[in-house]
Amino acid sequence: MDYTQQNYKAKKQMLDSIGVTSIDELFSEIPKDLRVKELNISNGQTEQELLNSFKRLALKNKIFTTFRGAGIYDHYIPSLVCEVIGRSEFLTAYTPYQAEASQGTLQAIFEYQSLICTLTGLDAANASLYDGSTSVAEAVLLALRISGKNKILISSLLHPEYIQIVKTYLENSKAELVVLPQGINGAIERTVLEANIDDNTAAVVMQSPNYLGIIEDMQMLSAATKSKNALFITVVNPLSLGLFQAPGEYNADIAVGEGQVLGSPMAVGGSTFGFMAVKKSLEWKMPGRIVGQTTDKDHKRGFVLTLQSREQHIRREKATSNICTNASLNALAGCVFLAGWGAEGFVNLAKTNISKARYAFNKIKSLEGFKVKFENKTFFNEFVIETQKNIKKINKVLLKNNILGPLDLSNFNENLTNCLLFCVTEQRTKKEIDKLVELLAKI
Amino acid sequence: MEKLLNEMSSQCKPAYSVNLDVECDYQIPESLKRNSHLGLPNIAESDLLRHFINLSRQNYALSTTFYPLGSCTMKYNPLINERIAKFNEFNAVHPYQAQETMQGILEIIYKLEKDLCEISGLDYFSVQPAAGAHGEFSGLLVISKYFKSIKQKRAKIIIPDSAHGTNPASAALAGFDIIPFKSELDGSLSIEKLKEILTPEVAVVMLTVPNTLGVFEKSVVEVSKIVHDNGSLLYYDGANLNAVMGIIRPGDIGFDVMHINLHKTFSTPHGGGGPGAGPIGVKAFLEPFLPVPRVELKKSKYILNYKKSKSIGKVKSFFGNFSVLLKAYVYIKSLGSVGLKNVSEQAVLNANYMLAKLKNIIDVPAGEKCMHEFVLSPKSVLKNTVRTLDVAKRLLDYGYYAPTVYFPAIVEEAIMIEPTETESKETLDKFIEVLIKIILEESNKCPQKVKDAPVNTPVKRLNEVEAARNPILKW
Repeated sequence: MDYTQQNYKAKKQMLDSIGVTSIDELFSEIPKDLRVKELNISNGQTEQELLNSFKRLALKNKIFTTFRGAGIYDHYIPSLVCEVIGRSEFLTAYTPYQAEASQGTLQAIFEYQSLICTLTGLDAANASLYDGSTSVAEAVLLALRISGKNKILISSLLHPEYIQIVKTYLENSKAELVVLPQGINGAIERTVLEANIDDNTAAVVMQSPNYLGIIEDMQMLSAATKSKNALFITVVNPLSLGLFQAPGEYNADIAVGEGQVLGSPMAVGGSTFGFMAVKKSLEWKMPGRIVGQTTDKDHKRGFVLTLQSREQHIRREKATSNICTNASLNALAGCVFLAGWGAEGFVNLAKTNISKARYAFNKIKSLEGFKVKFENKTFFNEFVIETQKNIKKINKVLLKNNILGPLDLSNFNENLTNCLLFCVTEQRTKKEIDKLVELLAKI
Repeated sequence: MEKLLNEMSSQCKPAYSVNLDVECDYQIPESLKRNSHLGLPNIAESDLLRHFINLSRQNYALSTTFYPLGSCTMKYNPLINERIAKFNEFNAVHPYQAQETMQGILEIIYKLEKDLCEISGLDYFSVQPAAGAHGEFSGLLVISKYFKSIKQKRAKIIIPDSAHGTNPASAALAGFDIIPFKSELDGSLSIEKLKEILTPEVAVVMLTVPNTLGVFEKSVVEVSKIVHDNGSLLYYDGANLNAVMGIIRPGDIGFDVMHINLHKTFSTPHGGGGPGAGPIGVKAFLEPFLPVPRVELKKSKYILNYKKSKSIGKVKSFFGNFSVLLKAYVYIKSLGSVGLKNVSEQAVLNANYMLAKLKNIIDVPAGEKCMHEFVLSPKSVLKNTVRTLDVAKRLLDYGYYAPTVYFPAIVEEAIMIEPTETESKETLDKFIEVLIKIILEESNKCPQKVKDAPVNTPVKRLNEVEAARNPILKW
């Protein structure tokens, strides 16, 4: 395929206008000995050939009935989301620099920001970040930047990849990163936080539901954090906020997280989006694009990119972040997703997740050879089960039955040998859950 | 004016509901329950559809108009890419399923990396970074880690003042001290000046080639020699790769590290601000420092290798923005070797054609010829205090998206035009005609009309100062 347009005649006219005889002359500034002879890349394919060859590649991937989460979740995506993000007017526009010609994108981002604010109970949100992991890193950088302190306490029950990415981002900074160990009940204990926090602590980073699916006591953790004047950064699953305390309710300063659950497919983990919401006092300190409401010459409402003096294209090395391209289209999917479910539907969706997960949990824990790992803990749609059975065999049997089984936590930390992390979303039917239980019983 | 979602919200049922097919009681402790109001709107699907479709129609997009936004490479986004990216066998794959069950995905990542190596002349690529700036940050971390590994204290970076703002911002994030490099009036670099600032503490010199004025740096080979003689490395900002694909390869002319913006050169749509992808390429000696996991081919199986002790670690969860990588790979397969070179030839032809038609009318600080884009400085021809911003806004009235304006900052009243290879001569001719009309005729005869522009857009000129002074960031 070739998407260029000029035929021989047009090319000739254009070259004449330029005053050269060949396209090659246009590259005369480039020394001849630097030129490439020919790229060793296969010949171009027609659309039909592409469709067939990529269908073949696609079929080398397998799709399962999944009971695995751990950061990326199988949720239903309403048709409206697909329709809207497929609109080429959204898809093929650039970052909305010319506001008057980009009101569609700008208003949608403004709506997205508003929805993230109500969801988190905080005051201001940015237009999106790359994903959950980098949103945590950006929140940590924000805290270090404004506090002038250089210690960060981070829960070991954050998604392990998020911790890795925070470490990467802090590689050349002077900040000290302290990873708080988990308590015996699968959550972070007050004593651990209090033993590590001091006057030099810029922020405490907690995830709820944490990596083990457990809802942390954020009220307590936040209060302990505030007693040392540190910022409380919370990493949340946005869907869980339909039922569980919003960050604003427990006095969080910054809420971040992975937006994939709000209308992006799993797609091996990308593309998705990260969200960030903050208290009013931090809005000028946020990284990334922010859309604000204003008026036009006729006093009519409109939207623009705003607080731009924070950003790299103006502040260069003094910017709040280097981020430019973010994940606008995925955030748009999030906006449509939240609007489509509405308050009532969204709460029902969250309830359905917890109910189905609880149903599976009750059945699995009563099987011989399986038991609850953390008694009396509240979870959302993921839970940990300990087993005496061979985990590799379990997942092998499940895979044969086209089921992507629970995540093996043996390598996560030494307290979790023989532990499995199950995830049950609204996508799993009773029949599928029963089938899973039946197979587990037979192993 | 399109209402906001909260203004549309009514007592009607939400668009979506879910059926619960299990019976199960659960208790949430009161202390963990949400008590605050959840202000999501309740709107029927039909009204929501109208709302978002109406919003989409307020956007100028590549699918509706010419979008000559300099430095952003707004080329046509082929529809086949989108169609393939919708395959369920890509979208319904979980990142933590076994490697044997995602061989197609790993094969695409592996082969895309190989093709990017061939196009760039570098030895290894990592497709993990999620955007150009993310690639810059990752590439600079690789360099920093490399110097640490050979126990050299080098923490400085030289960046020309004509560079994109992300360059210094990424460098600061990666922990470098920035030495600004003042470019000449035409955007070129003085070897003498470079020698003056190139101290033993300099780890890397970061260049955009062609530069942001659309000029190929003639002295690049000499720069490469001087930089390497100093023991420093050379970084290639691939934002302008569309000018030189199949013509030159950064690796061949001495660059050690580069990033590529797949959402520019490789035509994955920009989505109104992402998602993008910013893969980084390196010379072989830097491979050990690339992010993990690496996708490798062992005994005709694709595997994920996390065991790289010198790696900078991970920069993004999972494997990067796979959906974007996929579209870029389809694009490469679609064009092939000849097609890729043709892209750059046509992009440079289109830009030079426009430049030829405009250069006798409007000042061009960087000279007679250009690569894939060029920068105009209309200061001397604009009359009656009409400014570049007004010209940009007036172009919107004629149905065009505006070029990049006021960048690079070293050019006064800059207008930066990048037509890309996918536009026809007719489209370029019409645009040139309108641009000349605004700058020469309208700014002279009816300046107020230009200053009042736009008037044909969904809203008129918006007050950005008020937006920043009194921020309203949500409803």
